Amino acid sequence: MFDKILIANRGEIALRILRACKELGIATVAVHSTADADAMHVRLSDESVCIGPPPSKDSYLNVPALLAACEITGADAVHPGYGFLSENARFAEILGEHNLHFIGPKAEHIRLMGDKIEAKKTARKLGIPVVPGSDGAVGPSDDAMAIARKIGFPVLVKAAAGGGGRGMKVAQSEADLQMALSTAANEAKSAFGDASVYLEKYLQKPRHIEIQILGDGRGGAIHLGERDCSLQRRHQKVWEEGPSPVLSAAARAKIGETCAKAMREMKYLGVGTIEFLFEDGEFYFIEMNTRIQVEHPVTESITDIDLVLEQIRIAAGGELPAKQSEIQIIGHAIECRINAENPQTFRPSPGRITQYHPPGGLGVRIDSAVYQGYTIPPYYDSLVGKLIVHGKTRSECLMRLRRALDEMVVEGIETTLPLFRDLVRQPAIIDGDYHIHWLEQYLAGQAEPSGK
Amino acid sequence: MARQPDDKAAAKFSSEDSALVRELALLLDETSLTEIEIERAGLRLRVARNISVAATMPVPVAHAAHLPVAAAAAVPAAAADLSKHPGALTSPMVGTAYWAPEPGAKPFIEVGSKVSVGQTLLIIEAMKTMNQIPSTRAGTVSQILVEDGQPVEFGEPLVIIE
Repeated sequence: MFDKILIANRGEIALRILRACKELGIATVAVHSTADADAMHVRLSDESVCIGPPPSKDSYLNVPALLAACEITGADAVHPGYGFLSENARFAEILGEHNLHFIGPKAEHIRLMGDKIEAKKTARKLGIPVVPGSDGAVGPSDDAMAIARKIGFPVLVKAAAGGGGRGMKVAQSEADLQMALSTAANEAKSAFGDASVYLEKYLQKPRHIEIQILGDGRGGAIHLGERDCSLQRRHQKVWEEGPSPVLSAAARAKIGETCAKAMREMKYLGVGTIEFLFEDGEFYFIEMNTRIQVEHPVTESITDIDLVLEQIRIAAGGELPAKQSEIQIIGHAIECRINAENPQTFRPSPGRITQYHPPGGLGVRIDSAVYQGYTIPPYYDSLVGKLIVHGKTRSECLMRLRRALDEMVVEGIETTLPLFRDLVRQPAIIDGDYHIHWLEQYLAGQAEPSGK
Repeated sequence: MARQPDDKAAAKFSSEDSALVRELALLLDETSLTEIEIERAGLRLRVARNISVAATMPVPVAHAAHLPVAAAAAVPAAAADLSKHPGALTSPMVGTAYWAPEPGAKPFIEVGSKVSVGQTLLIIEAMKTMNQIPSTRAGTVSQILVEDGQPVEFGEPLVIIE
């Protein structure tokens, strides 16, 4: 087992990782920019090292500074969290070259799944159903129109180096295709340094359903059920729940086993999430995320498995926590990502939190690094925290969520709490009857959310 | 915040600890304090006037105690505030500070040294590369704030030049 883990991240996930380390008796090193010197996980960690000024590229993405911090503290492993360097295959390799453990998948798998075209090819080879699309990148010499016609309009132009909902453009009909191709390629070039794009069928009203997997790196892998993350705004997940309101146990077992089998063949190491669009009873692979995800607490709530703790144990050579037959989905969980944003305009609202009261009680969990008096810095994401609620049934979960949202107090900054108070009262949400465009359509149709 | 060593030998009262006690006792004599108590990874030390020196057994530190490594933690003047001193030069990187070009050689500077802009003050080593750190001010070195071989973080005050 590792002696000392350097947490190469910030905010709520850094605190999350710290908690798992403490439970395992592993010493912790918090690295932080000057803007995060007062972060809660920095205060709670055994050691801390300031690694740079506020900009991420000079701090949380600063590989030499991270390596130097490992050196001076004697850390033997690095947990990259999510975002930042968590899916940077080169970083994982560099750590290995310095005899440091990267708590995550093998670099080759990070690289494989990071290229969205290669990921799709691999998925198809492993028997995972994929979205019909171009077979690989669509270059200037390809007959994009013919490929698009074969797929059937509308089509989605996607950046090969994109992911996480970025770098996508819809072409509703033949007339839009050329423009969509060139804008997507230009944006991809500037955002990801790679102009390669590919085409996919654009599904009209799919749900986003993803499968959590866990692999031991030696050919063993299990799945931990699904999360339904259909409620999104600008491709960013806002509300996630598990199990999905629309999946039967049989459908879950089938797609879950398909994913677990693929991970066994790959000899995948660590946690991973395979994301699908689901429409008319069919699953379509979109991408795989080779890291712990923001919404992992939903799965933890319904399976009672500590995913971050298992990540660390598996990275240290440990076994999977259970056999597939032992994994049970118990009850229902919903997570709300509460951001420091205006609930109507979504304009970021960094600043000092003057009053903070997190809700509590049975089945209520807050994953947040804020505290009363804490100032949210303007340099990073606007996540205030995640509210995760569990209930024996989806109804009980919704009732508890409504109560928890009403109880929660965050003052001094604007937050999206009013939006969630609205959503939890919407008939479509209560019925579980929504898809990936639902939230944006709802927001566009709203004059103003009525929850205060 | 400064690095704090991971001290597995906290349970033993080492010769370092007795030197520390002596230092604290001297400090008591020199000042009007009657009692000094410091705490760091697993060791809490209290020295009081007219009572025999008491070294308490290691206590589990339930909360973070981020103290600088040097015993100067007992002195009220906070080392942290020196980063705001106008003459402070702070570390531009993470690594280990060395005051001489190589072990045994004469240090680049001492208290009292006159320095010019661009003059090498110290070396910070990270991953086997030695980085010469130049002065950003001209003046006289009035305080040297880190020890030779001490790990330093970004923004840590290294030296005061006035």
